[in-house]
Order: sequence, then structure tokens, then C-alpha cells
Amino acid sequence: MTLEHIRPESLHDLLKAMDTADYTLFAGGTDLMIRKRQWQGASRRFEEPIAFINQLKELRGIEDLGDHYRIGALTTQEEMATSGILPDYLRDPYHQMATLAIRNIATVGGNIINAASVGDSLPLLMALDAEVVLESLAGERTLPVTELIIDKYRTRRKSNEILTRVMIPKEDFTGYYYKKLGQRKASILSKLSIILLYRKKETLEDLRIAVGAVNDKPVRLPAAEKTLLATGDLAGYLKSLSEAFESADDKRSTKEYRETVSLALIKQELEKLFS
Amino acid sequence: MTMVSFIVNSKPVTLETDLSRRLLDVLRDDLGLTGTKEGCGEGECGACQVYLDGDLVNSCMVPMANVIGKSVLTIEGFSETEAYRQIEAAYIEEGAVQCGYCIPGMVMATGALLRSNPHPDLEAIKDGLSGNICRCTGYQTIFKAVERASKEEVKK
Ligand SMILES: Cc1cc2nc3c(=O)[nH]c(=O)nc-3n(C[C@@H](O)[C@@H](O)[C@H](O)COP(=O)(O)OP(=O)(O)OC[C@H]3O[C@@H](n4cnc5c(N)ncnc54)[C@H](O)[C@@H]3O)c2cc1C
Ligand code: FES
Ligand code: FES
Repeated sequence: MTLEHIRPESLHDLLKAMDTADYTLFAGGTDLMIRKRQWQGASRRFEEPIAFINQLKELRGIEDLGDHYRIGALTTQEEMATSGILPDYLRDPYHQMATLAIRNIATVGGNIINAASVGDSLPLLMALDAEVVLESLAGERTLPVTELIIDKYRTRRKSNEILTRVMIPKEDFTGYYYKKLGQRKASILSKLSIILLYRKKETLEDLRIAVGAVNDKPVRLPAAEKTLLATGDLAGYLKSLSEAFESADDKRSTKEYRETVSLALIKQELEKLFS
Repeated sequence: MTMVSFIVNSKPVTLETDLSRRLLDVLRDDLGLTGTKEGCGEGECGACQVYLDGDLVNSCMVPMANVIGKSVLTIEGFSETEAYRQIEAAYIEEGAVQCGYCIPGMVMATGALLRSNPHPDLEAIKDGLSGNICRCTGYQTIFKAVERASKEEVKK
């Protein structure tokens, strides 16, 4: 017997179903198809009911709402990477994810809710103070991405909630630095990734730094950023960062590599910015 | 089991299947379209690439639920087009095919690349084919074939 698979035609129908039973939401499936390896070959079964959601058009699309961008959860990574509306600092990290054939399927919402330590959108969204909107039959609530993510593969989403959209504040950054390091150049999970966003006119007015794939959850230190901006004390910031790192050796790389290289790259970029 | 309707190579198809079944399996096993290959089954190698509503995708990653009402073009359908013939000629000319297993996917990826960027430089070619693994050629002849295909005049 196959367990129940539903494919609701509207968000409301989905929320009603989610109110009565626990469904695994299936968007693009680029994480789920891998996690359910027994799926190879003939028909296969989930151990739990599945709700396919990719057809929900109302959850798709990129809009500029003046002070922020509104991104539907089912927007694909390739739509982000090639958007005519979004600035480069948002497009570039999406373009460096996976490959075209995966980016055409993989969704923005899936990368967030999957909450992998190597999820490349998470440092970016945290650095941008992005928020997500979660909806259930009872209504909506809004959470900063940094609060949504607990740690590796764990979020504060409740089982009857769907992520409907991401709200990204618009900022007039004058520059950014994005570095994704992996075993090879393309189509690779990150050993580490660094996003640095800044607004520099006569002086440095805004600065955000986030590091992905080192800890279970991307590292961002807003208080230390503020001190750095006020004092220009690079060594002090780097020390706070190094104290925040709690990496471990894994199949992708070692603790020492990740931490040493992150600190060296950030130091190099900060020296340029503060010179 | 659910009845699903979609289009394959311009023909409407309706069949009964599980919503969680992979498009790859439906193409090969139910429809006999064996030009689409399975390599890794994990989205890494590109042997299974097809166009879904015009977008390049790995058919091993797509469940039938996400194909309903959409249009699929496989290498068999693509081979009827002028764009294909140009790519095929360039692959032959450059000797870019060895065992051939990766080639249907390579050709689909080449087609997608040239559609979005008709004159790619080497970096763009590498980026466009970064989701396709070839066990035989070492890629250089394939890169040359893509470059050659991009230089051919589009014939009607
Ligand atoms: C070959 C390959 C290369 C990859 N490379 C990268 C890479 O470079 N960087 C990177 O970060 N990732 C990479 N990934 C993973 C990346 O594709 C996924 O994280 C993707 O973004 C997930 O989106 P999806 O729609 O496919 O998710 P799905 O697999 O459909 O879902 C993922 C999880 O999110 C949940 N979910 C999905 N949508 C919602 C929603 N709207 N509301 C609530 N829950 C939801 C699902 O229930 C599931 O738990 C790669 C994957 C593959 C196969
Ligand atoms: S079989 Fe689909 S990408 Fe390898
Ligand atoms: S020609 Fe043999 S795998 Fe590419």
C-alpha cells in the first residue's frame, strides 16, 4: 500500500490537509530525492504522507516592493540567479549553487527549510536580515531567518506550517564579496562560504559578514560587526569570529582548514575595506 | 496510482503511475525512450537530462507529480530540430564522442547553453556543462564541439 500522496491545487486546500495530518512537503525534490535513496528504479514509497506543492503558482515569483524584495518560496534558484530585478549580491550566490539542471528545479524555500549546514542561501539571507513568512490554517507569522534556523537540519517551522515567502530588505550596498570554496569549482557542496556586504561612501557605513558551512548554522555576529564598524578593530572582530567557530572534521574538510581559511579570507577583505 | 497527463516530444501522453515515480523511469520504462540515460541517479552526472517546459533538468530528480500538465522534450524529440543537427555535426567533426553514454545529456546541456548564450566563451562553456560528467573524453573535445556548434551559421 502506498501512503497518501496529495497534490492540492490551492494553498488553502494544502493548509486544510496539513491541519489534519503531518505531511512532508515536496517542492523541487532535490534534497528529498537524495534523502530517499530507495527511490531509485521502480516505484518507491515514503514512510510518511507526501504533499506535492510545486504546482502552487501563488508561491512563486520575485517582486520589488519598494523597501524589500518579496520572494515566493517556490521560486527556483535559477530564477534568482538570472532575475532582472535582483542585485548581483543576491544573484551571484544562487548562480554558484549546484548546476543549471538542478537550479532549474531547486527552490528558494527548500534550501531554507532543509537547513543544511552547507545550504548556500543561508549565510546570504542571514547577512541581509531576511525574514520568512510561515503560514498555517490559523494564520501567518514572520520570523527572521536567523531565528528560524536552529541548527543542522532543524528549524522552528511547525509541522502544519508552510513557508510561503521570503522578505529581503533592500539595501544600497556599494559592494560585496562572495567566496564559495569546495573540492572543485562548480557543482560542489561548500567546504566554506563567505559573504561580506558593505556600504562605503566617504567612510564605511554598513558592514555585514556571514560564514557558511563551518558551524552547523551559519555564523553572523551583529554586535561584533557594530563594534568593528565603530572602532575599526579588525583583530578584535577576527578574535570574536574565531571564538564563535565550532567546526568539526568531516568528509568535506577539516576543522583547521575551514577556520584558518575563513579567517584569512575575511582578514584580507577587511584590510582592503579599512585601508 | 494516479492518472497523469503531460506532453512528451510534442505528443500528449496519459498514463497511470505513482506521483513519486521518477520522470526518468517513466520515459525509459513506460515510453521506451531510452536515449535518456541513468548514470548516478543523484543529480550529479547529467546523463538523464531533458527539457521540462523548455528548462534543462535532471529527470532522475523529478517526480511525476511535477510533470503533470507540462511539456517534456527528450533527446529523441530534440534530434528532430535544426539546433540539434548543428550540435551533432560539431560533436562528430571534433570527435567528441567516445562510448557515448554521457552524450545525450551533453547534447541537451549544449542546446540549453547555446539558447541562452549563443556565443559562449570557454568559461561559459565549462559553466554550462558543469552538470555533465564524462568518463571517457577528458572534456576537451566536447568543449571544442560546443565552440564549433556556436560558430556555425544557423541554417533554416
Ligand atoms: C547535485 C546537487 C547539487 C547541489 N548543490 C548545492 C549547492 O551547491 N548549494 C546548496 O546550498 N545546495 C545544493 N544542493 C541542494 C539544493 O538543491 C537544495 O537544498 C534545494 O535548494 C532544496 O530545494 P527543493 O525545492 O529541491 O527542496 P525539496 O527537496 O523539495 O525540500 C527540501 C526540504 O524543505 C522542505 N520544504 C520545501 N519547500 C518548503 C516550503 N515551501 N515550506 C516548508 N517546507 C518546505 C521539504 O519538506 C524538505 O524537508 C544540491 C543538490 C543536488 C542534488
Ligand atoms: S542520473 Fe540523473 S544526474 Fe545522474
Ligand atoms: S563519451 Fe563515454 S562517458 Fe562521455
